[in-house]
This record gives sequence, C-alpha cells and structure tokens, in this order.
Amino acid sequence: MRSGKLDVWPCSARAEPVAERQPRVNGPLIVQSDKTLLLEVDHEQADDCRRAIAPFAELERAPEHIHTYRVTPLGLWNARAAGHDAEQVVDALVQYSRYPVPHALLVDIAETMDRYGRLSLVKHPAHGLVLTTTDRPVLEEVLRSKRVAPLVGARIDPDTVQVHPSERGQIKQTLLKLGWPAEDLAGYVDGEAHPIELHEDGWALRPYQKQAVENFWHGGSGVVVLPCGAGKTLVGAGAMAQAKSTTLILVTNTVSARQWKHELVRRTSLTEDEIGEYSGTKKEIRPVTIATYQVLTTKRKGVYPHLELFDSRDWGLILYDEVHLLPAPVFKFTADLQARRRLGLTATLVREDGRESDVFSLIGPKRFDAPWKEIEAQGYIAPADCVEVRVNLTDSERLAYATAEQEEKYRFCSTTATKQKVTEAIVRRFEGQQILVIGQYIDQLDELGEHLDAPVIKGETSNAQREKLFEAFRQGELSVLVVSKVANFSIDLPEATVAIQVSGTFGSRQEEAQRLGRVLRPKADGHQAHFYSVVARDTIDQDFAAHRQRFLAEQGYAYRIVDADELLTES
Amino acid sequence: MRMSTEENPAAAPRSLAEALRGRDDVSLAALLRSRPDLITPVPTDLTQLATRAGTRASVVRALERLDRFTLQTAQALAIASDPATYAELLGLMAGDDGDPAVSAALPHALGTLRAQALVWGGDDRLRLVRTARELLAPSPQHPSPTGLGPTVREAGAGISPGRVQEILATAGLPSTHDSVSALNALAGLFDDPERMSALLDQAPSESVEVLERLVWGPPYGQVTADPAPRLRWLLDRGLLLPTAPGTVVLPREVALRLRAGRAHRTTEPVPPPVEAAAAHRPQMVDATAAGQAYTALATVEELLKDWHEGGPAVLRAGGLSVRDLKRTAVALDVPEPVAAFWVELAYAAGLLASDGEADERYAATPAYDEWREEPAGERWARLATAWLAATRTPGLVGERDAKDRTLSALGPGLDRSAAPEVRHRVLALLAGLPEGAAPDAGSLLARLRWERPPRADRTGGGAPSPYARRTPAQPAEGTRGVAARAGGSGAPGYPADGASGAGGEDDLRSRLARWTLAEAEMLGVTGRGALSSHGRALIGAPPAPRRADTRTEPRGPGDKLPVHHRQTPLPPALSPAEQATAAAAAARLLDPLLPEPLDHVLLQADLTAVAPGPLERPLADVLGVLADVESKGGATVYRFTPASVRRALDAGQSAADLHAFLAAHSRTPVPQPLAYLIDDVARRHGHLRVGAASSYVRCDDDAVLNEILADKRAAGLGLRRLAPTVLAARTDPAALLEGLRAMGFAPAAESAEGDVLIARADAYRTPPRTPPEPVPDGPPVPDDTLLAAAIRAVRAGDLAFTAPRKPVGGEAGATPGELPRTTAAETLAGLQAAVLTNDTLWIGYVNAEGGASQRVIAPIRVEGGFVTAYDHTADEVRTYPLHRITGVAELAE
Repeated sequence: MRSGKLDVWPCSARAEPVAERQPRVNGPLIVQSDKTLLLEVDHEQADDCRRAIAPFAELERAPEHIHTYRVTPLGLWNARAAGHDAEQVVDALVQYSRYPVPHALLVDIAETMDRYGRLSLVKHPAHGLVLTTTDRPVLEEVLRSKRVAPLVGARIDPDTVQVHPSERGQIKQTLLKLGWPAEDLAGYVDGEAHPIELHEDGWALRPYQKQAVENFWHGGSGVVVLPCGAGKTLVGAGAMAQAKSTTLILVTNTVSARQWKHELVRRTSLTEDEIGEYSGTKKEIRPVTIATYQVLTTKRKGVYPHLELFDSRDWGLILYDEVHLLPAPVFKFTADLQARRRLGLTATLVREDGRESDVFSLIGPKRFDAPWKEIEAQGYIAPADCVEVRVNLTDSERLAYATAEQEEKYRFCSTTATKQKVTEAIVRRFEGQQILVIGQYIDQLDELGEHLDAPVIKGETSNAQREKLFEAFRQGELSVLVVSKVANFSIDLPEATVAIQVSGTFGSRQEEAQRLGRVLRPKADGHQAHFYSVVARDTIDQDFAAHRQRFLAEQGYAYRIVDADELLTES
Repeated sequence: MRMSTEENPAAAPRSLAEALRGRDDVSLAALLRSRPDLITPVPTDLTQLATRAGTRASVVRALERLDRFTLQTAQALAIASDPATYAELLGLMAGDDGDPAVSAALPHALGTLRAQALVWGGDDRLRLVRTARELLAPSPQHPSPTGLGPTVREAGAGISPGRVQEILATAGLPSTHDSVSALNALAGLFDDPERMSALLDQAPSESVEVLERLVWGPPYGQVTADPAPRLRWLLDRGLLLPTAPGTVVLPREVALRLRAGRAHRTTEPVPPPVEAAAAHRPQMVDATAAGQAYTALATVEELLKDWHEGGPAVLRAGGLSVRDLKRTAVALDVPEPVAAFWVELAYAAGLLASDGEADERYAATPAYDEWREEPAGERWARLATAWLAATRTPGLVGERDAKDRTLSALGPGLDRSAAPEVRHRVLALLAGLPEGAAPDAGSLLARLRWERPPRADRTGGGAPSPYARRTPAQPAEGTRGVAARAGGSGAPGYPADGASGAGGEDDLRSRLARWTLAEAEMLGVTGRGALSSHGRALIGAPPAPRRADTRTEPRGPGDKLPVHHRQTPLPPALSPAEQATAAAAAARLLDPLLPEPLDHVLLQADLTAVAPGPLERPLADVLGVLADVESKGGATVYRFTPASVRRALDAGQSAADLHAFLAAHSRTPVPQPLAYLIDDVARRHGHLRVGAASSYVRCDDDAVLNEILADKRAAGLGLRRLAPTVLAARTDPAALLEGLRAMGFAPAAESAEGDVLIARADAYRTPPRTPPEPVPDGPPVPDDTLLAAAIRAVRAGDLAFTAPRKPVGGEAGATPGELPRTTAAETLAGLQAAVLTNDTLWIGYVNAEGGASQRVIAPIRVEGGFVTAYDHTADEVRTYPLHRITGVAELAE
C-alpha cells in the first residue's frame, strides 16, 4: 500500500552508520509483538507520546512505571472516526518507539485503518437510507455475504445500494463483523424539543468535560471514556443541555437512577417533575426518563414488555451509563434506534464479554478519552491509599475452614473473629475521621456494630432511619457507620475518609473498583482517603482479594499488604 | 572478452579442438570455470575436452546458464548458415534496419558463447558446436523460439522434381536440370530483397494475410486437399511448401524476408534494470534490519528453548509432523510457513538435529550451546551464512512432491540446488541498488529471468516447463508487502512472447527469488526491503556509493529512484574463507546496531516486571523461572504469580535470594505487594515434605529406636528417623522384619490400617472363578430321536444300495447308480418331510472337490441351509449343505 509514505525519518542527525555507539535507548514507547504498546511514564517524552497514541490505542493497565496500551482494529477505526489517518498513527509509533517497529506491523495498521470509511451510510434524497462505497469491490464483497443480503434493498447504482432504515444498526454491526466498518453519515432526527439548561452557579463544567460534550456533539453519537469519579454524569448533563430535547437515560440500577436524578435536578434547569424514573417500582415517563437496564431486560412470556419505552416518546437523545455493562438485549433495542443521538459513558471500553465491537457499531466510536494522569494532575480525582490487611485464622478456625462445605467456605473465612479485632484497631487509629465499615454478612456487621458502638445500616433498616443516620454521619455527629452491601448501593451514602471492607463480594472487579471510586472522592480538606480490605490469609478470601487488587494496581491505585499482627502491635 | 583476438589469426581452426588449442591458458581456465563439468574427470587432451564440450548433456547445461540475449544469439546462429559470418549474425539479430543496442551488445554475447566453447571460428566463419545447433535448430518436433521453419532446401527435398520445376516456372525463374539447383534458385529468389518484394507485390492481399499469420511462427499451417485460391497462389510460387499431406510450412528464407531479416521478434540486448520501489534512509534500513536480526536470534533461541526438554518426534519418513509444526507456530506466535523457516534455519545452522535415538526426536545440538555463548553479531552471522549456503528451501514446506507426499519441514525433498545461487544473485542485485533503496520485486524477478531464462522461455512457450507450476503464485512467507508487487509487469522492453505472463513467474528460480526477499527480511539481511550495510558485508559486496550524487538523491520518502544500471559481472561466489571473513565483517557492522542487553527490569505493583529491552542472559534465565512471560517484543513483560515464585523456590532459590535478586536488578524500590508475595509463598514453601519410603518402624519408646539406629547391623536397612518414634526404611516390610528379627528384636507387622498382622500362613486364593467349560472332542451325544433314527437306519442299512427307490417327485424310478435329481424346492420339502416322519432318504451329494456320491441318510433337522442327519453310509451323524445335495429319493418300501 502506501509503504513509501510510511517511512518517516525520526531523527534529524545523519550520523555515519559505523560511527561509535549511539545512544540507542531513546523513545518512551516499546512496541510488543502482540500489538501492545508499553509506555514508560517517567520518560521525558511520555506525555507527548501518550497524547500521540491515545487516539488509537486503548489504555489497558496503568501501574506506576509502565503503562500498557493495546492497538486493536476497533481502536484504529475509532481513530479514523475521529479524523486521524494511518500516517499519523504510524508517525506516532515510529517517532516514539525505542526500537525499530516491525514493518509488517506498520503495514497491518495502515491496512486496517484503510478499511474504515470505504463504506458509508448516507441519506439519499430519493431513496432514503443507502449504503455507498468509494471502492466498488468492497461493496461487491459485502453484498455477497449471506448476512448482509437480507439487510439491503435494491441496487441503485454500481456504488450504492438501498438499506431499510430499520436495519441501520443491524447492517453496521454486520459490516463491522465482516471487517468493513461503515461510517454512519445518515444524520439524526431532532426528537421532541425540551428546554434544558445547565445551572452553573458556584460550579462549572471542567475543561475536559466541556471538551467531551463538544466532541460528542460534533461527532453525532459515540462514547465518552472517563475514569471513575471524573464526573461522567456532568458530561451527560452537558450533552442534554446541548441537545435540548427529550432524553432517555439508561443506567445500571435504581440507585444509580436516583443519583442521576439528584444530580440533574441540582445541576440543570430540570425540575423533579420533569424527570421520570422507569424502574421495577415506578413506571413514569417524563420528558427526561431514567430507566434501568434491569427493567428493560425483564422478560415476560418471551417478550420484553418494557420495550415500548423506546417508542413512547420522540426521544432526541439516548444516554447509556456504564456502557461496558450494557446488557446484550439492550444492544438489540439499540440497533433500532440508530436515527437518534446516542451517548455512551464509561470508564473503560473493555467489556468482560468481549462485545466492544457492538458498542462501536451501535452506540458509536469513542469520541473522548480523558487522560487519567491529566485529570489526576488537575486534582479532580485522587487515588486512595489501599491497604490489604491479612489476618491469620486461628488453628481451630483453620480446621473448621478445611472441613467446611465448599459453598460455606467464603462465608466462613470472611467472618473470622480476628477480623473484628483488626477492624477495631483500624477504627481506633483513625479516631475522629469519618469511617465506613462495609461488609457482606449481617451477623458479622451486627457484632461489629456492637463492638464499635456504631449503628448498623442493612437491608431491613427503614428509609427514614437510614436517612437520619446518614445525615448524622454527614454532619459529623456520627463518625463510624457500619453498612451492609445492600446499603452501600444507596445513592446518598455519605462520603468518608476511611472505608474498611471486612467481607467482599464475589462480584466483578470493575464493579468493585467503581464502588470504591464512588466512596473515595478527593476530600475537600486534602485528606488522603484510605481503603482497608481485611482478608483472611490462605483462604479463598485472599484469592478474591488478589483479583480485585490486580485491577486496582492496573488502574494505578498503589496498595500495600500488611499482616494483622503488625497492625495490631502498631496500634 | 574478445575471443577473436586470442585466436590464431594465421590459420583458421578447422574444428573446435583446434580452436581450443589456439586459446591461451587464461581463456581455457575461464572455460573450465564456467563449465566445470568438462574437467570431471580431467580430460587427457584438448581433443577429448572438445569432444566432451560437444556432448549433449554438457551443452544443455551450458545453454541453460546463458542469459536471454546470449541465448537468442545462439538461437540465431542455429538458423544461420554454417559457418556464418559476423555480418550475417548481426543481420539476424538486428534486422535489415539495424539496431544500435544489439550491435553494441552482440560482440559481448558472441564472446560469451566463444568463451563457453559453444561457438568457435573467426568472425568470418562462426560455427555453433553441432550439438548446440541440433538442440536449437527448429524441427517439427521442437519448434524454435525464433518461430522459423526449415529452409527451402530442407522443406523442398521431398517434392517431386516435376512439381519443383512448375513452382520455378510460376515464380518466374528459368527451369533447371535438377531439383537441387532448382531449390537453390528458389532460395536465391527469396533471399534477394528486391526480387522478393517484386514477387510479393503481385500477391493477392488474402495471400499476404496468410503469410502474415505464419511469419512469427509457428510456421506450419493446415490446408485442405483442395486449397483455396489464396493458398494455391502461395503454394504455386513456393512461398509455402508442403511438408506432409494437409500441412504446409513457411520456408525460413521467406519468413526472414518478411521479418526484414530478424531472427527474433524482439531482442533484449540490455538486461532489464532492477527498479527501486522505495527509498529509505540508510540508517532506518540498518536499524530495522538490526531489529529484525535481533528478533531472528530471539526466535531461534525461543524455538530451541521450547524444544529444550525433548523436541517433537521425527516422522518415520523424516521431518516434522504437520501438528508439531502447527504447535511450534503457535508457540512462536508466527504463521506456519514462517515457523517452518525458523526451524529450517536452525537446522541449516546446525543448531538442531535429530537425536538419532530409537525413539527419534529433534533436539538442540551441542553446537547450540556454543552458539549461545557467542556475541550477538556473530550468532547472527552464523545464521545468515548458513542461510546463504543452504540448498534447503523452507518455502516448499506444505506442498506436495511428485509422488503426492506432503513435504514436511526438516523432512526430505526440500533441497533445491539452485537456491544458494539465486540467493546470492538476488542479494547482489540488491547491492547494485543505491543505499536504502528497496527493489520493485517485479523488476527484480524480470531481471533474474533475463539472466537465466526459465525453460518455458527457451522452448518458445507452448511446451510446459518442468518447473512451471500452474498453481497461482503466492508469497509463501508471511511477510506481507515484500512480495506484494511480484505480479507486476516486467521492465520496459520485456518480450511479450512466451511465458512472461503470470505462469512464467512460477518457475522455481522466481519462487526462490521471492522466498529470498521474504527470508532476507525476516533474517534482518534487509530492512524495509533494502539491503542493510551488514547484509552488504555478508555477501562480500563493496559498500554502496554514498548518495552524494544529486541525481540519485531521493526527493522524499517514496520517490521512485532512477537506477542507473551498471552491467556488473556476477560477483564470483565466495570461497569458504572469504565467506567467513565477510561474515565477520557483517557481524562487526551489526553488533553496534543491536540493542545492548540490559541489567535491570522495572518492577510494578500489579506484580509485573517489564524488561524494557533484551536482558543479560543470567538475568533473563532467573527471571524466566521466577515469573511468567506475558508479552514479548522489544520489551518483555513478566508476571509474578504464587506459582511462578514457588517454581523459583523449587529451583533452589531462597526468599532472601529472590529479594536480593530483585533489589539488585530493579532501579526502583521493590513494590511492597511483590515482596510480600515472595515472603508469603516462601512461608509456606517446603512446609509439607514428601518422600518415598518402603516401610517404617514405629515404637513408642524412642530409646529402642535409638538403639536400632546405632546398631551396625541396621546399616543395610536404610533406616532414617522421621520423628522421635518413627523410622523410615528403604527396604520392604518383609526384609525389614527379617533384619530386625536378626538383630534380636521381635517386631510385629502392621497392616495398612495400622492393625497388627497375624503372621499365620494365609492360604493364597484366586478371585472367584468359574470352572472351565468342557471342550468335547466329537459331536454331542445324540438324543433319542437321533438314536431311534440311527437304529432304524442300521436296520435298513444293508438294504440301502440295493433297495428299489423312487424319487420324491414321484417320477419314474431313477436307474440305479445314477444320482437322484430333484429341484431345490423338492429337495427341501423331501428332507423336511423326512424329519417329521423319521424316514430315511437316499440322496445324491457332491463334495467340495466335486466328487459325487450317493448316501442314505436319516435327517434329524433342517435349518440354515444345512441338513443334519444320520448317515447310514458313513455310520455317523453328519451335516450336509443343502446346495450340495443333487436330489432326494425315498427308499422304496
């Protein structure tokens, strides 16, 4: 292909080749054979390099010294969608690479990127939605595919074929799977107008949030990637203020829905009455409606009864919170909504089910990716001090653990009595700070509450009681609060400086990390947040903890491991 | 090389031997160098040398090594008169109008032919050696690439004298006395341009069209018994001559006249230049090539490390199984053809071989261990020299041989003797390009085909070349882009005839050349397609001229470079000593370009270590045990897991060693979670101990055990104290009991459950068994029915033969002595009836040998096509197949 153009001459000095050894180690970037990129963060050019590779490479891991990015076809197409070309990508690699980049890899990148945009979906004045190409053989190739054939209509001319408007999402998905992603230029319907303004009194959109909104609006549809705690909700609010139309917001759960509502009322001109909640308990449809994934994916007698929500109003904007958790059926509905503007919000594009390509084709390419380090440097987010405390089971507990039934083991080791002592020691150490104790098992929490002389909030605690305790905690009248997993989902869980997790969940690591991110906001007084996880040694509790920690470490949260004995003797 | 000056001008040689005799030693040496087959064995004298130089095998070989233009010259000589003058040859090559390029190149081509002893004689009497002439001259069986037919004299030899005179008359020539002079006169007419054009001017236009169709060959045409007027006109004037009934030929003289004297439609006096497809900065080329060279070293090491503990098994026919190759490809993370290349490379370099054991496996050789210790540059040079000289061609792996067997990597059938020569040639052509210029593969292949035309070109198309494969060409090696342009058109002036199309590019040499380009890139001889400076040194080529010359300075990346073709003679193949020097020079050039091994890694809190470059070997070895490799490339990412740390502890390291190791090789503090992980694994490592013991001694009183251990007589029992009250022994329980009893103790044996075993001789029993089934010798004892029948039969026995009888069918009684004959249905019915009625029957029976007999039987049962019966004749129960029974008859009462 354009191999000639790929040749970029990085250094200006033209040294004699057989001269004395030149310093060979220069660039901050190392290109691996599995198409991962290793970026040395302490390198002086690291920032420039990161900026150069961010458009096309996904950050996979960000531990302290070397960050790992991955180059995938999706990433490259994202870059194309954002207006970058192969030359820029190759430039970036060649310029910052420490070692010569294999030619084959560069050619591969150029070829992959070249596949995007050969096909595009556009509005034809006479025929409606059409698929057109700049490269006729490609169109021939895809039309020959059995999966594309049922989605297209009549051939209008050699380069154009009609597409049924309802198949707009389906065909994009299919073409992506065939490796010829189509650019969607068919535009959007405006939807029902509804005035929405941002209420910027005493706060303002952060520069990167503004940038994200702008990029999204300019691109039409797409995904904004922001790290936990970087204010994704505000980006959503900003987008709504930009669209000024009725909006459907899809969120992961009811708690999140209430949080969204709370934030929207606080930050925008929207009032409580304008915002509806569509969940298991309430079925309100208002100009701005917040629905949970769960209610949408509820199936009764083989049908999804709540699907009509999508058609119940002429939505102008659809917001997907936590796109990486988007359940599969929602993808299916989304395929039918390709004429509406779609904004996906997430902390990571990496999905545990590997359906990144559906996000790309159905919601849209990545429109904004906030450099984690930059946001941290601006002081908007701060990593917490994470500590894992390993407690030893007593001899009798070990014997009991060894003989416990498989399904009882986790409960057994996570509720060991030693954890109580450790928890008390930690609470003593941070006396006077706001401390949350989080656990899974009610018996354990009740016991802890008794020992710490702190109230326990669990599933059965009434809302009024809950509210009262939270308020007291927020006001500083209460400094220690014991909450169960059920309660910590609660939207209005107050902020704390110290969180102690005495028993965790088996849940996904991402979910865990996000929950932490929510609890551990940067503190107004500059206090560092602390997160303690109390873990029983040599048990599956420890294995689960190791999983979570790997994710934390990869996200750049430094963590330490201490022995319980050490901690106990210290205090 | 102007031979004419070297030959004796005084007396023109009369034979090749004489011509050779006239040569000086230098030119004879040149001949023998270019045709080494002439001195094996060394000929006794020049006559013998000349004879040998004229043998068919030797001439074929010499012709095959000619470049396209020289070959065309030889072909022209083959159709010229014998002997021919230089002027005649030039006329044939350049045509009547002349061609300066041909005129300039012809002396050199002729010189080559003379040097090769294919042509001898002075410029006024050029003679092509007879064998070459026979090989190249056109004949109906072997059409010449010139597309010319036989001469008038040859073609006209079979025509009747009367017809010849008729032709002569029609052509407007005076009649002669005999056919020979008549044909000469005709040839003279055709040779004369003026008279010939006058003759053709009279020709009807349809006849001219016919001539035009035949002029560039093939010169033969089919005619019907009654030719059309336009053909008749030509036949009458001898412009077409009949060769066989229904076939006519265009005589050579006519064709040459119509072609304006040219023997070839196109000549190619100048080799097609190798075009540069792209120009890169030389530093970039060297850096890329060095990077690839490093990858090559790493890959070979990885491959042999993978095969460290016993490589894959050797197939019975030799070679690596497809599955093993697949597995290796996955392990190396490369496509299979590329994996085959690395495997073959290591094999060619002597780094791996079959172990020759009964259960043959591939393994690294001792040379590999030496190789590993060498500096990187030399290691590469060893691989590269082995590659250059190897005749094995990994590109063939996966294809099928003539017997339809799959060619496997490391297996037989991969040797192609042309491979080293093609590799050298390709690299030499690359060396002819300016520094940093990557060749256009199409032009490179065209050049190679010019230098050594594939056989399809020699025979003028048509005939299938034994090399030509009709499968579509595919760049076999995984490196995309390198061979991508191979399918492009040739250089300007490339002849459009013959097999210059896609099929022609499939000849072995072109495939070898394409593989060479891909392999050179993988090996780091070239970088981005351009020959690197160490690659240049490797083949002993002089360093390319610096591109100070503004004409060749690229104006920017991607510019097409005008390449000034220099007709460089083939560089002589390097002798082993020269090759070693060249390799050493290449290693010296490469060494500073290779990344220097690092002595440190970066440790991270997510339990990974990143080596931002190649590591020093001891460090890499230890780290390879202590952590798992997660990703490879310029850097290596290692991950520490409890299992990997335990592996290091198992390998004899202590936790303190590991801490010291990490601290020594990390530039940053060791992350706390990693230190913790090591301590945590070490804490539990070795906590449980496992060993083998055959028996034990247990005693509540440890004093007694002390006593046993102290006793010299216990030495043979292999006792060891496990705990105060337990001794483990290496001997089995019975021997231990025996030994202890011998020492005066009274031990008791313990069962697996710990109970004291009662030492009472326990009778040994088998598991439950059923008694054997009796195997009877004869048939089962007959039952009552049978017995009754037998007795009855005995009674009737003596009457058997003589008794009057009637057939079942009720027909007239058969004559005695004759076999009874009934239909199959009647036979069956008769037998079945006899079973029911306990009757005795008379049957005819034909045994397996065809012998017929009559028997009297008492049938007992009829089933499955057999009848079981008491045979009165044989006096026993027998079974007869029904189909052998000719018929049955009742015994008459």
